[in-house]
Formats: sequence, C-alpha cells, structure tokens
Amino acid sequence: MTAGTSPAEASATVCWSCGVAAAGERFCAACGKIQPLPRGADYFALLGLTRKLVIDEDALEQRFHQLSWKLHPDNFVRASEHERSLSLECSSQLNDAFRTLRDPVSRVEYLLSQAGMRREGQNKQQAPPELLEEVFELNESLDELREARQAGGDPEAKAALGRRLENERHRFEDKLEVVDMELEGLSSEWDRALDANADQAAQRVLMDRMNETLNRRSYIRNLVQSVQKELAEA
Amino acid sequence: MGHTVGIDLGTTYSLVAYLDKESGKPQCIPGPYGDTLCPSVVSVDEDGSIVVGEPARRRLLTQSARTIYSVKRLMGRGVADVQDELKIFPFRIDPGSQNVIRVRLGERVFTPPEISAFILRELKNWAEEFFGEAVDRAVITVPAYFNDAQRQATKDAGRLAGLEVLRLVNEPTAAALAYGLHEQRRGRVAVYDFGGGTFDVSILKLISTGEGDIYQVLSTNGDTHLGGDDLDNALMDVARTEIRVRHRMNLDAQPEVVQELRKALIHAKHQLSSADRATVMVPLPDESVYMREFTRAEFEGLVQPILDRTMGPVKQALADAKLKTEDIDEVVLVGGSTRVPLVRRMVEQFFGRPPHAELNPDEVVALGAAVQADILESGVKNMLLLDVTPLSLGIETMGGVVAKIIPRNSTIPASAQEMFTTGVENQTGIDIHVLQGERELAKDCRSLARFQLRVPPGPAGLARIEVKFLIDASGILQVAARDLRTGEEQTIEVQPSYGLNDAEVEKMLEESIEHAEQDFAERQLIEARTEAEQIVLATKKSLALIDAEGPKEMPEVERLGVDAALAALRGAMVGSDYLRIRERIEELNQATLPLAERLMNRAVSSALAGKRLSDV
Repeated sequence: MTAGTSPAEASATVCWSCGVAAAGERFCAACGKIQPLPRGADYFALLGLTRKLVIDEDALEQRFHQLSWKLHPDNFVRASEHERSLSLECSSQLNDAFRTLRDPVSRVEYLLSQAGMRREGQNKQQAPPELLEEVFELNESLDELREARQAGGDPEAKAALGRRLENERHRFEDKLEVVDMELEGLSSEWDRALDANADQAAQRVLMDRMNETLNRRSYIRNLVQSVQKELAEA
Repeated sequence: MGHTVGIDLGTTYSLVAYLDKESGKPQCIPGPYGDTLCPSVVSVDEDGSIVVGEPARRRLLTQSARTIYSVKRLMGRGVADVQDELKIFPFRIDPGSQNVIRVRLGERVFTPPEISAFILRELKNWAEEFFGEAVDRAVITVPAYFNDAQRQATKDAGRLAGLEVLRLVNEPTAAALAYGLHEQRRGRVAVYDFGGGTFDVSILKLISTGEGDIYQVLSTNGDTHLGGDDLDNALMDVARTEIRVRHRMNLDAQPEVVQELRKALIHAKHQLSSADRATVMVPLPDESVYMREFTRAEFEGLVQPILDRTMGPVKQALADAKLKTEDIDEVVLVGGSTRVPLVRRMVEQFFGRPPHAELNPDEVVALGAAVQADILESGVKNMLLLDVTPLSLGIETMGGVVAKIIPRNSTIPASAQEMFTTGVENQTGIDIHVLQGERELAKDCRSLARFQLRVPPGPAGLARIEVKFLIDASGILQVAARDLRTGEEQTIEVQPSYGLNDAEVEKMLEESIEHAEQDFAERQLIEARTEAEQIVLATKKSLALIDAEGPKEMPEVERLGVDAALAALRGAMVGSDYLRIRERIEELNQATLPLAERLMNRAVSSALAGKRLSDV
C-alpha cells in the first residue's frame, strides 16, 4: 500500500495542458490530453447515459469497452505523472460506474443514493409484516438444525431437517425473484415517468417505492444467505 | 532507454521473456546453461557473494544453511503467518523478524524482497547478455490471488533489482494472453494455474472489438500456498517416516541428506507423469541406501487430498462469474504441476471437456508477460487486459467489523470514497485500519495498513475528511485524503502491516548498489568455482568409497588420470579465468566417467549408466 494524492480536480472547464476550453470531455479537443473528471461526475453521465433504469446490458458493456480502450492506464505508461494519475482516476471511476450500473439492483441503489433518497430500514432485523409468519417458521427450522448439530443426534432426523430447510430456502429464493421482478417493474415505471417529464413530487413517490422494495429485498437476501451458510456447514 | 522484458518470478523457477519484433511472437531468453528456466534458488558464498539459479540449486546439497528455495512463500508475510510452513520448509528465520521476515543465509540476513531481487537481477543479466544492451523495465507476474502486501513485496523486489516495474500482471491472465495470441481463442475461458507454490483459477471473457481484443477477467480465486511443493512434501513425509522406522535414522540434523532425498523424490514425481512406477534411491549417512518404488496409483492416492483443495476456489470463481461449467468454452492448464495426469483428469471431469495444454506450461506465463510488456512499452495496442482485484477491500468499523468498500472481482483500477468525521470534541486524529479479505471480522481478514487522519480541533462531527482508496492496475492500494471543509489534500503516512516502508526500500537500494554490482565475468567466475567445488567434493567422496572396497577396485591408469584432472581443476580454481575452470571441469567429468559407472553398477542395475558423477 502506498500513499498517493489524487490529481487536483480542476473545477474550470479549461484544458490543464493547452488552456483551450474542454468542457466535460474526457480528452481535450485541441491537444488531445486526458482531462480530469468534473467534480461529482455521475456514473450515468460517465457512461454516456441518461438517468434511466432499464439498460441494454450488451450496449452498456460495449460502451464500457470503448471507453476502457481510451482511458486505461496501459495507454499512459510513458505519459507524464499528471496524466498517469488522471488516467488512474478516470479509469477507476469508469470501472466503478460499470460495476454499479450493470447490475439492475445496484443501479437502483445508486440512483436513489445520488438523489439522497436511499434510506435503509429503521431496523434491518425487523421482518416485513407480510413475511412474519414464514420468517418465524424458517428461524425455528434453523434453530432446530443448529441444536441437532450440537447434540450430535440422529443423522436421519438431521437429514429431514436439512430437507425442510432446503424447501424453505427455495421458497425464499422464489420470493427474491418476485422482489427482483417488482424492482424491474418499478424501473420501467421510472423510465416512463422520465419520458413523460414527470415532476419532482412524482419522481419522489417512485423513489420511495423503490427504496421500500430495496429494503425488503435486502432482508430476504440476508435470510437466503444465512440459510445457505447454515446448510453448507451442516 | 533500455529494453523492457516480461518476468515470471515463480516459486520453483523464474523466467524472462521478450517480444520478438520480427516474428511478433514472445520468446523466453535462455541463461548461461542454455535453459530458459532459472531455479528460484539463492545462495550466499562464504565471501558474501551471491549465487543464483542452477549453481545455487546445486549448493542446496552441499551448503543448505547458505541456500534458500521457494522464497516466494515468504513474500509479504509475517512470522506468525508462516509457522506451518516452517515445519516443512528449511527457512532459517532470523529471531529479530516480526512483520517483515528476515532470513539468515550464512552470515548475512535478508528480507524476502531482497532475495527475490537477486533472482530478478540474475534474469536481468540473462536478458542483458542476450540483447547486449541494458534492460531496465519489466512487467512481473504474480499469482492472481496475491494480496496487497505480497504484490507490494514483489514490486519492491523489482525496484531493488534495478528494474522499473511497469505493471504486475496476474499469472493466469498472462497465460490467457499468450494462449489467445497463439490460438485466436474467443469466448469464456477458465485458466487453471497450478504452479510450484501457488494455485490460481481465473475465468475470462475474450472479446473481439473494432479496436482489438479485450481480455476481461470476470473472476479469480486461489490459494497462494498450494502447489507442486506440497506434492513434494507429501512424498517427503512418506520417505522420512520410512527412513525413521526402517533405518532408525532421524534426518533433522542432516539438511544435505534431506535435500538429496527431496531432489530424488521430485525426480520420481516427474517420472510418474509418464511412467507407471518410479524408483528412488538415496544413500544415507550410515552407508545404507533408502530404496523405494512408488507406483502412480500410490502417488495419486497421496496427493489427491492436496489436489482436492483446488476445487473449492474453482467453484467459487465460477459462482462469482455467475457461470456454470457448461458456459465455459475453453479450459487452459498452466504451471508445471498440471503435468500430473491426475490434475488433468480432475479438471477434465469437472469441466466436462479436455483442457488445453499445447503451450509449455512452464513458459506460458513469462510469454504473456512479454506480450504485456511490449504493449506498455511500444504504446501500439491491439489488446487490452481488464483484470480484477482478488480480495475485497474493507475498513475496520465499530466492534471490529469490516465494512467492505471495494468488492472482490472488481475490475481494476477500482476506487471507493469514504467520509470520516470525529466522535468526540477536540479529537485530533481518526485512526483508519485497512484490510483485505472476505470475512466479517477484522481479526479474520488480512491487515494491510493503518494510518491516521489529522483533524483540526473542533466540536464532534464537524470534521469532514474524505478518503479515497484506489486499487491501481497492478492491484496495489493507494490512499489519498482531503479535508472537505478546507479543500486541503492530506499526505498520509501509511505504515504497511506486512512489508517494507519506502525508507527501508530506499536504504536497501543504496546498499545493494554499493555492494552487489558485479560484472559479468565476476559472476561467471563465482558460478564456475561453485560448480568446480561440487565436482571436486563429489570426486573425493567417490574415491573414498571405491578405496573402502579394496585396492583392486580401480585400475591404476584410471586413478592417475582422475588425480591429474583433479589437480588441474584445483589449479584453475585458484586463477580467475572462468573458461579455464569450465574446461578443467569437463576434463574431470570425462576422467571420472568410468568411476561413476562403476559406483552405480555397484549400487544399482545399469539404469543410471552414462550419467556424470556430479549428477548422481
């Protein structure tokens, strides 16, 4: 690990090298030198996208590859220290952007957090009301399995418990899929709202719904993960 | 400006390669013995000079206390990390070492990066000899699963060897690059890289675009302490137990015999890749001989548990790439240990398709490194590597829990920004602890570094310090901090948890320049003298053996011939003409051929006939 300094981000829109105006472009049109990212540049803009949520992933990847050819540090091994650090900055942002936006869930999370609308559940441990009963059952099975494992116990009973847990895992995995579809639906709704120039208030309502869906999703995903872990150990 | 090369700094062997401009193909550069493989062995002579490669490997048998192999296992690790390894590897760790291991070789003490630097310097010399010009820049490969400290240690080694390290490239990725170039492969490729001391698996996607080919790594996994060494140790276990029981002999205090045994077992392991059985025969100090036949089936039974350990990482890499085995279009085998037939069977069975092994598994990584070196050097680019970080990066939060800020398998360069503030009034510093790993608690992850952010005194929660964590294209972390209220950049004094800080590397660099710059002839002289010492020793041992059998065992004429050649070689060794020493070595070898055959016939059947005495 080495300590470094990030390149000073020029708030000006003038090329640091030749002084010609180079607003928002990755490379100066006049001298061709790599430019710093505008402060607070958002991932959508970085990949040349509007803030829509339904994205053609193949096209996104293509765009990512095109930009990678230009921005990757490979191109700047022989360039000045300043250009090298700009390339590091730009290409790391590009990679972060692609990683975040190619996944439909983290894409929604990103949109909300950029808008200051991502609020995690008050109590992450608290089950959504409609799931209470099933979660209760699941926890019971998990406890039984843990107890059986500690006690040593009869292998057949443990196997039966394992099968029961397996079933419940499938049930929750199905729920995860349903939530993902909900999120997909909301994403399309968001895009339509943008197309229709929906006002701020309408956007906020949609974002709130997305936020609630994300919280439910993360709760179910944690459940699935803990069951998977428990089954792997058993 | 000098040449740029690609270097595979391996656990057992290291290689150096370059891109031949005429053919457009990468080539490995041979060393003074004509071989492209340089044993990763370093030995320190009594006069303090350094011997590297083949002559150093021979010294394992005669001067094991001055000689070290598999030093890669110590790179970027602390004393506490290597306790298990110390039971099976004869590393002599200096008692003063803690978070940077110091190894004792004879009278001198070195850190692992310094020892690796000797190997790199040797390869640099090979290349300079080959080009007739200076070589000062390199791409060096590392196991994909190397953590930040192990990478930094490798980079330090390069710097100490007088090389500007343009990039560290992951070994499986380098292999894929060499394969892609060779075979024009497309689609999804799994690289199974089982080397001397490390295991890696990488899943890549090869894409053709208008600009050229992109090698995008989707996921990687591995074990940086799993390799052919472990197969050798499994055989060693069997042999040493049998020697203890049958010959009532403990070899703990006999490092030379242990090395002799190890050499014989490795030879048997190699034979078992093509033969069904192999015999090991090692003379023991009490004049008896340890003789043992291994069948391939027995060998496979012994190493199966070790090879099974590679499958967990393979499954994890596939899962992380969100792929199933049937989504994989090609499987590529890399690393000398993939010559073991059982490895091939396991890989074929798992992926349901025969793996590729057309390119020399020892050379392919170095060849890929040479391709990448050329891309970086020439700026002419028709391919692009997009690699990933193998381990999640996190920072310690309340209660020793790790908050992940860059997930594993993120394309590098990758970054994360975190905001920090104070918890109590007039707090002047915020301590940051950076870790790498997948576990939830800091104590289960790898500590990378600690540093402190400076905060101007004020009410709690007022400060706004933004810290940027950036993993560069070599997989090495950089940190920068900025006070958002003043806009001021903060320089951070990072104290690596395992590794040398900048000042230490700088100091070593000065020392190495003062001490170690030997010219080519001088090095040749050392190597020739070492070899001469060994053959003189071996000849004397053989003569004593034959004399013990009675005076009639060796014709007078032959005896006189050997004595004369021996005297001539000793004469040459006093001088400083290495060519002359080499000639005399060859003469002595010729003179002792009948003697060697006689000794071998006596011990065994005719299987070993025709070998030189120094090989026995």
